[in-house]
Amino acid sequence: MHLYKTMKNFLFDQDYFIDVWDKCIHVYGFIDIDILEEKKICLVFESFKVCVFGNDFRVLKLTKKEILIEGILENIQVIR
Amino acid sequence: MKDTLIWIEVEGKKDKLLLKCFKLRIPVFETKEENGKLFFKIYEKDFGKIQKFWFVKVKKSGVTGIRLLKENIWKQRVFVVSLLFGFLLLYVLSHIMIRVEVVHSNSDIRELVRLTLKEKGIKENTFRKSYKEIETIKKEVLDLYPEQLEWMEIEVHGMNYVVRIEERKIEKEKTNQTSCHIVATKDAFVKEMIFSKGVASVSRNDSVKKGDILISGLIKKDEEIKAVVCAQGSVYGEVWYSITASVPLDYEVSTRTNKVRWNFRLKNLFFDDFLFRSRLSSYEEEKTKIFNIFGNELYFVKQFETQKEKKRYSEEEAKNLAISEAIHKLESTFDEKEYIISKKVLKNEINNSTMNVEIFVSVFENIGEVQEFEINSIE
Repeated sequence: MHLYKTMKNFLFDQDYFIDVWDKCIHVYGFIDIDILEEKKICLVFESFKVCVFGNDFRVLKLTKKEILIEGILENIQVIR
Repeated sequence: MKDTLIWIEVEGKKDKLLLKCFKLRIPVFETKEENGKLFFKIYEKDFGKIQKFWFVKVKKSGVTGIRLLKENIWKQRVFVVSLLFGFLLLYVLSHIMIRVEVVHSNSDIRELVRLTLKEKGIKENTFRKSYKEIETIKKEVLDLYPEQLEWMEIEVHGMNYVVRIEERKIEKEKTNQTSCHIVATKDAFVKEMIFSKGVASVSRNDSVKKGDILISGLIKKDEEIKAVVCAQGSVYGEVWYSITASVPLDYEVSTRTNKVRWNFRLKNLFFDDFLFRSRLSSYEEEKTKIFNIFGNELYFVKQFETQKEKKRYSEEEAKNLAISEAIHKLESTFDEKEYIISKKVLKNEINNSTMNVEIFVSVFENIGEVQEFEINSIE
């Protein structure tokens, strides 16, 4: 367990992060989901909100702090 | 069981379901769409919570992980059981020995060994003994019959034991040899005599010819035969030889390069070759046996590429090599007491790229041989 915790601490060393790939968006550390639609997804963080715009968004994985979205990303907006 | 992941089929508002799952902290590990249907991968323990949502219809569509494996095994149980049974049968058949073959010309020895081995567990229709057990049995049998058996080897050939034996031939005591001399086998100078029976006919430093009596079996007094015995002893003398040896001046040296290729070799009664084509023109090989089933032996072969290089001995090197080979050949016939007193090169010449050497050797050697005689012939 100690090894697992150490690795987790090493890999997730930030409070939050957003990874953008060709057809996927990986977000870690959000606290709530505001909007979940095919063309728009808004995620709430502690001091700001992030909205992603695009087409054919589909949630591939969703856990307490993590979401993996597949789709064609067109725009990202940060609202403070 | 609570951590088992399952696939569920969802009908209804999927976005709302996802949001609801998030609010209730129900992790969704994977989603996929197949043939217009939506599937979620969740913990089995969360299935009950999702079932309560009024806006979706859910049903279990499959399991994952170990449960999936278990279900698949159960579905294919006939095949799996057959496969296991096949392996078991293969193991049993490859470990059962159906014949014990004792190889020897003497039927008494064959029967003796067969019965002894049977007592020790090496018999038909039994499981094959391990290498260690076979070695122990071998030693026990040899210890049991030290006067009959000289050497024994138990080989495993497929489903057969092949027992090879060598009979011990103890020279019978020469009780019937009541009258014998020890005679010279070669022309020599006598150097040493040790005898326990008989009368010495020659003394140290005497020159003897082949056939001369060295130790006589006739014990005489005043030309009258007092007793007849079988002379016993050994006579060593200085013997001379002229030996020749030839060494070709050109020779090939084979050295390994760094290139290594792997291959397999199958060997049975009808076939003995590599399974894959060898890509090296010249190589040395090291092989390891993988298995031996029903006489089919499979080897893993490492082929090391070699390069052959032509070299030539110098005259001196070739001469020394020829001398040492000749001496070595001569010494291989010696007993522990015999040795070379001196040697001298008589002639060395090169003919057709071959070094020919003639050596004169003086040897300290046993020259005595027992020869029987009949008393009537003397009288």
